[in-house]
Amino acid sequence: MSQPKQTGRDGITRRGFLTGSGLAAATVGTLSSTAPAALDPSSAATPIAFGPAPVRLAFTVNGRPVQVQVEPRVTLLDALRNYLDVTGCKRVCDRGTCGACTVQVDGRAVYACTLLAIEARGKDIRTAENLAQGDTLDAVPAAFVRCDAQQCGFCTPGFVMALRAALDKNPRATVAELEQAVAGNICRCGTYEQMRQAIAQLVRKEG
Amino acid sequence: MAEGWPKQRQVLGSKVPRLDGAAKATGRARYTYDINRPGMLHGVMVRCPHAHARIKAIDTTATRKTPGFRALTLIGASRDVVITAIDGNKLTCTPAGKKKAPDERISIEVGEGVTLIKNLKVVTLRDIQPGDRVTIEAEQWVIGRELFYAGDEVAAIAADTEEHARDAARALRIDYEVLEHVVSEDEVLKDRKKRTVPAPSNFTEAKGATQGDVEAGFREADAVVEATYGVPVISHQCLEAHGLVAEWTAEGGLTVWASTQATVSTAQQLAARFGLPAAKVNCITHYMGGGFGSKFGPDVQGFAAAELALRAGAPVKIMLDREGEIVAAGNRPSAIGTVKIAGKKDGTITAYAVDCYGTPGYTGGATVNLNLLPYVYSDAIANWKRSHAVVYVNAGAARAMRAPGHPQNCVLTEFAIDDLAARLNIDPVIIRRKNLPPNNPKAPPNSWAARRNTIYNEQIDIALQLSRWKEKWHPPGKGNAQGPLRHGIGMALHTWGGFAAAQPNECYVIIGRDGSIIARTSTQDLGTGQRTVTAVVVAEVLGQNPASIITEIGESRFGLSSGSGGSTTCPSQAPAALRAAQAARDDLFKKVAPKVQADPKDLAIEAGKVVDRKSGRSWTWKEFCARLGMEEARGRGEWSLGIANEPGNENISSGQVGGVQVAEVTVDVETGLVRVQHLVAVQDCGLVVNRLTCESQVAGGVIMGLNYALFEECIRDRATGRQLNADMEFYKLGGLGDMPKITVHLQDMPERGVIGVGEPPVISTAAAVGNAVFNALGVRVPFLPLTPWRVLQALAQGGKVS
Repeated sequence: MSQPKQTGRDGITRRGFLTGSGLAAATVGTLSSTAPAALDPSSAATPIAFGPAPVRLAFTVNGRPVQVQVEPRVTLLDALRNYLDVTGCKRVCDRGTCGACTVQVDGRAVYACTLLAIEARGKDIRTAENLAQGDTLDAVPAAFVRCDAQQCGFCTPGFVMALRAALDKNPRATVAELEQAVAGNICRCGTYEQMRQAIAQLVRKEG
Repeated sequence: MAEGWPKQRQVLGSKVPRLDGAAKATGRARYTYDINRPGMLHGVMVRCPHAHARIKAIDTTATRKTPGFRALTLIGASRDVVITAIDGNKLTCTPAGKKKAPDERISIEVGEGVTLIKNLKVVTLRDIQPGDRVTIEAEQWVIGRELFYAGDEVAAIAADTEEHARDAARALRIDYEVLEHVVSEDEVLKDRKKRTVPAPSNFTEAKGATQGDVEAGFREADAVVEATYGVPVISHQCLEAHGLVAEWTAEGGLTVWASTQATVSTAQQLAARFGLPAAKVNCITHYMGGGFGSKFGPDVQGFAAAELALRAGAPVKIMLDREGEIVAAGNRPSAIGTVKIAGKKDGTITAYAVDCYGTPGYTGGATVNLNLLPYVYSDAIANWKRSHAVVYVNAGAARAMRAPGHPQNCVLTEFAIDDLAARLNIDPVIIRRKNLPPNNPKAPPNSWAARRNTIYNEQIDIALQLSRWKEKWHPPGKGNAQGPLRHGIGMALHTWGGFAAAQPNECYVIIGRDGSIIARTSTQDLGTGQRTVTAVVVAEVLGQNPASIITEIGESRFGLSSGSGGSTTCPSQAPAALRAAQAARDDLFKKVAPKVQADPKDLAIEAGKVVDRKSGRSWTWKEFCARLGMEEARGRGEWSLGIANEPGNENISSGQVGGVQVAEVTVDVETGLVRVQHLVAVQDCGLVVNRLTCESQVAGGVIMGLNYALFEECIRDRATGRQLNADMEFYKLGGLGDMPKITVHLQDMPERGVIGVGEPPVISTAAAVGNAVFNALGVRVPFLPLTPWRVLQALAQGGKVS
């Protein structure tokens, strides 16, 4: 794999970006026509350009602060998988239609393939790996295991993260709400019947 | 007689959660796609954008200058040769190997665009001399290469990052001479002499088949129905794309992580390609993200990854992007058939004739014309006839797909049966029962042939009951309407083999003195639960909890195993595990008995302990194993079709199963939307090893069948020859909200031994759904998928069935 650059404190920080100091752009050194200002209205006064050279970014992944140096075109999914070796989020369609790359960004379920890594600066990223502490399983993957709501398992972390985010948002979510939460996720092996059982157990347990 | 399955079963047939479930559900399981090796490069494939073209010129200069570029290989541009003469930078050589004529002379000037490889190393002119065997790749050798579909592989490129690899691919300059193409079957039918593929023409008549006197059968019938039905080309859509990570070891061996259904065969193919002893290649597939018949070898991209890794001196990963996955990594052939069926009022089918065609893409065709007969009824129908044609088009080659040939055959036959029933004004179940294949009293008592009529009748009984058929069925189009919603119910039958594989399958069981148990086999778990199956069998024999068995699977170096195709893995591997566990147990008894002053014959295993039946003494498992001292107990098990067929083994594994499915639907006649409400799947499955994963597999098969019925279709643009929906937006797959309630009934028949069940449950779903839609509307929607557009079109045309 390409070696992640995890050292140094001269990269773009969330605060630096928000204050629009221009320091970040100066640090990466290259201006381009891309308009990251659109990312945050507060920086509109002082447009900052990134890339195409790699940009140093910082965010937290599963509670661990990380820094990574990637080109601005790199998605959060690819930054996690190819640069940080966090592979629980899977790449399947790579364009926001299958849900296999679902992660939580500041608690919200997000398709990691539809978010650029630079958009995730300073944010709290959670992947499926976060749902096990040693041998203790979070309720969502535990229900999937009990009900056998997975076969090849390649889509499973995405489903699990979508449900985790829905339950975080509303621990008393109904079956219909949880089914809605995974409406954007696709399973090819056909584990939906068992997934319904898992959802039923989650509603009873967490409702 | 060899020892069979235990009579008293503690674990076998129970519901055991899959051992790798937690690892998968929390993203910790490492699939091929997830392998990141130190210094690893990322590779991408460069594909032909035209449906049919010839390479006129190629320029790699810009590519080689892009940032991070590390290696490039052109597909079809390399030859293995023996050097005969060297004159300055000009080489003369003859082809190596037996394939080419020995008197052929090859001359090449070594310069830019020519790569020399000797002894698995990139070398220069100085390193070679006459007599050397060398692989030469020359850019000029791709000039004139013909490419047969949009997506055909042209090159593979490796760079330090995936972004750089894509940049390098974009910089590759290729001039194509664009040639005539055809991507739809009907265009070929209009001009059968057309040639845009490697075959002599795009249209090839296949071997027909006939039985009895079809014309006489049509004459004696009370009703004759003729109609054309069809199923489109569909894509496997494996969620983990095809791909491979290749890493050459310091010792000159090759380690690959491959998303494959066949670790052993993949390693063997790579070894053959690079002239290595098979033992120097290890193919690792610890986790695998779906294959469905499309992943049996390294493929073009796998060989390319190994080639690039060799050239760059670094590990290379190539995983196909979604478009490549869909256009190049296999698809299921179409089948369009005109069926003429005739029957009597009592339901007897007097004649059946089918004239059909299908496309396997630009080449191949092995799975196109399988069994397109009156399907499960073939042995009961006196008169039938089949004619079939293979229609080649400029699209990726077909591959086996979950029950090759069967879903298509099932649709053609079962649609015709319901149309005939409507014409005869009878319940179609009458026709099905009347034409079931007979039991063969001379066949072995537990075999399919001996019991198939009985099994099908039992299954139909169960399916009728679970679906409440008798109260829900109505003549087609005559059900109660609720606003625009019409209710319908339909049935279909299927059959499949599921025997052990012809190739040997091995399993090894090792018992340590600490009581730990390793079960080791090279077989791969595609998501079928094979890892857990192995543990269940070993745990049963050794009186343990399956979760305590350490399973080491999915590495070719672990022994022999066959590819996971044809539902052969479980019936091959479960008996191999049985034999291995029994042998390890016997070895344990033999080694420990003298130390506890017992006779091995008197020792037996009970849950968690070993007992001496003679003296009544017992030891906990750990106590007993501790007496191994410095030794360990080992057992090897082997199974194959040949062993399964030996006398006395018929109850360990067998094959051929039947199944019946019933679908209940509502169809909105205003929007054309079909919703499946309930699907009943009754499946014969021999001895159930793990009830939990077996039920999952049957329900999963049904869901894939529902996708076939309602959503899936590869749509190719006639003008450009490209697939319009090589993605997951417009290639539709159902989500949770699209799924009906699914009732799975496993028809447990342990006396038949273990039978594979991966394929069977997928087969009849689409046919049952199609028949339910016919029952709802009274109008046949003849082509799958049953999209709103097709439903409305059929309604508008009044479902013309002549």
